[in-house]
Amino acid sequence: MGTFIQQMFNGLTVGGIYALIALGYTMVYGVMRLINFAHGDLCILGAFVGLTFITSFGGGGHLGAAMVIFAFVAAVLVVAAAGVLLELAAYRPLRKADRLAAVVSALGASMLIENGIMLVWSPQVSVFPSGLLPTTTYHIAGASISFVQVMIIAVSFVLMAALYLFVNHTRFGTAIRAAAIDQDAARLMGINVNRVIASVFVIGPALGAVGGLFVGIYYREVYFTMGWTYGLYAFIAAILGGIGNIPGAMIGGILLGLFNAFAAGYLSSSWQDAITFALLIGILLVRPTGILGERVAEKV
Amino acid sequence: MQNLATKYGGALLWIVGLGLPLALNDAWVAIAAMFAIYSVVALSEDIILGRGGMFDMGHAVYFGIGAYVTGILNVNYGWPIFATMPVAMLLAAAVGALLAGPLIRLRGDYLLVASIGFNAIFVLAMQNNLLGLTGGSDGVAGLDIPRLFGFQLASQNSMFWLDWVVLGLVILLMNNLDRSEFGRTLRYLKQDELAATMIGVDPRKAKTLAFALGAAVAGLAGTLFAVQLSTVSPSSFVFTESVTLFAIVIVGGQGSVPGVLLGTALMFVLPEVFRGLAQYRYLVFGFAMILVMVLRPQGLWPRRRARA
Amino acid sequence: MLRKIGTSVAALLALAVPGAAAMAAPSPIKIGVQAPITGAYAVEGQGIEKAVKLLAEEQNSKGGLLGRQIEVKVCDDQGQAAQAAICARQLVNDGVVAVIGSYTSGAALAAEPIYARANVIQTSDGTSNKLLARGYKTWFGNAAPNSAEARFTADYMVNVRKFKRIAVVTDHSSFATGLADAVEANIKSDHGNVIDKAYINAGSQNFTPVLTQLKSLNPDAVYFSGYYSDGALIKAQMAQLGVKAVFVGGDANQNVDFGKIAGTAAAGAIIINVPGPEQLPYPAAKAFVAAYQAKYNQAPPSVFTLTNADGMRAVLQAIEKTNSVNPGKLEHYLHNMKQFDGLTGSFVWNAKGERVGSPFTAFEVQADGSYKIVYPAAG
Repeated sequence: MGTFIQQMFNGLTVGGIYALIALGYTMVYGVMRLINFAHGDLCILGAFVGLTFITSFGGGGHLGAAMVIFAFVAAVLVVAAAGVLLELAAYRPLRKADRLAAVVSALGASMLIENGIMLVWSPQVSVFPSGLLPTTTYHIAGASISFVQVMIIAVSFVLMAALYLFVNHTRFGTAIRAAAIDQDAARLMGINVNRVIASVFVIGPALGAVGGLFVGIYYREVYFTMGWTYGLYAFIAAILGGIGNIPGAMIGGILLGLFNAFAAGYLSSSWQDAITFALLIGILLVRPTGILGERVAEKV
Repeated sequence: MQNLATKYGGALLWIVGLGLPLALNDAWVAIAAMFAIYSVVALSEDIILGRGGMFDMGHAVYFGIGAYVTGILNVNYGWPIFATMPVAMLLAAAVGALLAGPLIRLRGDYLLVASIGFNAIFVLAMQNNLLGLTGGSDGVAGLDIPRLFGFQLASQNSMFWLDWVVLGLVILLMNNLDRSEFGRTLRYLKQDELAATMIGVDPRKAKTLAFALGAAVAGLAGTLFAVQLSTVSPSSFVFTESVTLFAIVIVGGQGSVPGVLLGTALMFVLPEVFRGLAQYRYLVFGFAMILVMVLRPQGLWPRRRARA
Repeated sequence: MLRKIGTSVAALLALAVPGAAAMAAPSPIKIGVQAPITGAYAVEGQGIEKAVKLLAEEQNSKGGLLGRQIEVKVCDDQGQAAQAAICARQLVNDGVVAVIGSYTSGAALAAEPIYARANVIQTSDGTSNKLLARGYKTWFGNAAPNSAEARFTADYMVNVRKFKRIAVVTDHSSFATGLADAVEANIKSDHGNVIDKAYINAGSQNFTPVLTQLKSLNPDAVYFSGYYSDGALIKAQMAQLGVKAVFVGGDANQNVDFGKIAGTAAAGAIIINVPGPEQLPYPAAKAFVAAYQAKYNQAPPSVFTLTNADGMRAVLQAIEKTNSVNPGKLEHYLHNMKQFDGLTGSFVWNAKGERVGSPFTAFEVQADGSYKIVYPAAG
């Protein structure tokens, strides 16, 4: 029983991070039908920016919670700016082109950001200082859960809920949804589609930066190739939930985290990823557009 | 209709390429040989992606199956290299047709992610030493030198000729495909599946066939790859390789033989040219990819060129 | 379009025939570096490149070798087999006498047949058994082979520490699975008990699912054969989950960052390796590390920077002692050295090109992050 509960928390923690990153994929996809393969790298860029902020202002000693919050703010701002720049330079010129052109442009951007991180920081593992957050561990029914895990799960859920409310219950959220359904019609209704798209490239990368910085603070190590790994899993989470659908990204992320934990724990660690992917393909065969995806005829 | 340049451009590039060993040293002939091999895989990816319109991002699987079949049959069972070639193609085709079963029930990006999944499963199976044959993470090492009619194809130049001849045959196949009924069927399907179905096209059959054909050609390239490296290991067939193949087709131009060849040149030969940039090279390369797409969204040499 | 191809072919040609103009001075002796300059192992590859260039520079400032300057040719193989084969042809074509690298066994393995055919010496830290199996006469492994490390590791765990329930954990890389298999076999031959063999995905960071499962099996030792960035997280996550077993790590866990990443949880971890760059007791090693630090303003990334530097030093010594760059003579010299005073200890090469003579030790990570030798007992 203890093992089962432990595995559930293991899955929830990493699932929460996947979900935060998956939201960026799904929002961009929802509005632009673009798989932004550079998204994972943007998130890890957030971790590096946060780390630089912490090491240059924190002096390496014990830091208050305020410093950690400032690091999050800095990471969110820088990454959101990078997201907007990326959209302007690499995606906007391709809005009318075959959508695969933008996908390849995104792959190029991913390579650019990843290698940029390697050159600016280092190809080496960068380590976060210890003691950023309390190391309290809670024991529940034989399972051990750390404070950071609880915080990751809680903050992820709060941010996702906030985003859901924003998109569904505000004027600007309505504009985003309208642009997602039909950009031309939205434009005719007086919606500034460019602003909507820019906002998507602010919100998605900003949430991703939070996810990336969580990765850094939780695992205490970041390196430049990590963006690709996390990006891939988050993208799969978004697809699993039904890409373009915000609650879908949350469900997909959490499920993927749980799949991974239970596959490695109870089935076979050597086939962990194969089992996860087999489950994913199985689900897609039953629900060809993901768990919450709508059945719509696809425009190609 | 496509213009003459696109129709014969591939053949023309091929003839120019025949002269490469005369002009290049051994190292660059090796790069040219790898270019030929990757061109064959990229053309086979184009059958599924560019012509079939199916977002296959797991194409390295079929390439890998070909390479592993050749490696295992040659090293473990002593088969001559050329005898392994048909088996490599057949097994790759069979797996292609098999995976097409679930894949073609999915659309667009869902197909894409499922094919990524198959790629990950394939690599893990090879790493876990499937059936005790694939040699785990080390893979299969020490392939023979291929022999043809009593001649040893040992030098880099002779390997290049072999790869280049196969590339020529595949270009011929692609040109025939364009003119064939099957090629037209795929075009209808890609443009409007509903309409194609109305005029009697069986989409499942056509798509499965596209996967089988694309996989068979990729399997053929796998044999050449195994010969060129004399080693087959899982890391050559990981998902990022599939991403590169996908990008080659889009960068070059979907459904265009010269386009795919140029795309391969850009994605494969350009990093070699950029070697002088040392650790900066993939930064520059990533930038170049964005630039190419922004300047030529239809690809370097699109099938239908709006402006010459 | 054709015109563009014409110019790029011309550009390729221009790149392919460098240095044709410099004929006046005695031609330099060329040494190749094949290493992952980009990609996941970039830090190690760049370390090897820097070490070789540093040694070449030192030699050149002393007037070179045989009256000729040393020229270093670098080729980036990204740690991938296909790129490695291209690099091998490139370097052979450049006319190198010997090649230092690559870092990964896989890349070394893909390149070695080409070097062997061209009679070019390759010295690399690659330890895959397949490199030895084919009996390449140009192959010289500069890191201790898996077999020696596995023997020491099993002996330490089973006979010295008397662990009764050992769990073996590895990633899927060629190096780590090879080492894990060898350790497992050696534990069994020492009548030890391997309760489970588990796999992690290198770089996936979340190892709690695997460790939670191990915890339920009650191991008294967890042996991990993979890399430090994962090993440190395994150690930290073991502490978080309350796994009481002793962590024993293979040589790739030795890195200054192991302690930083695992933080307070690092204390008590055992790492098995030859001494690391910062602890090498030999004066030559200290001088090299200091020179490296002075030139690049950073420490060598790992002990493999130094083992590859040893490969370079051995090649230079062979050229000097045989007064020749004839491959046959150099190979004969390297195979028959009575003793080579390496930065990483003294060793020789056997007929298979395997490094013989490596002082393995078991270190314990202390609370302040420093290492203490716990076996064999000092003195």
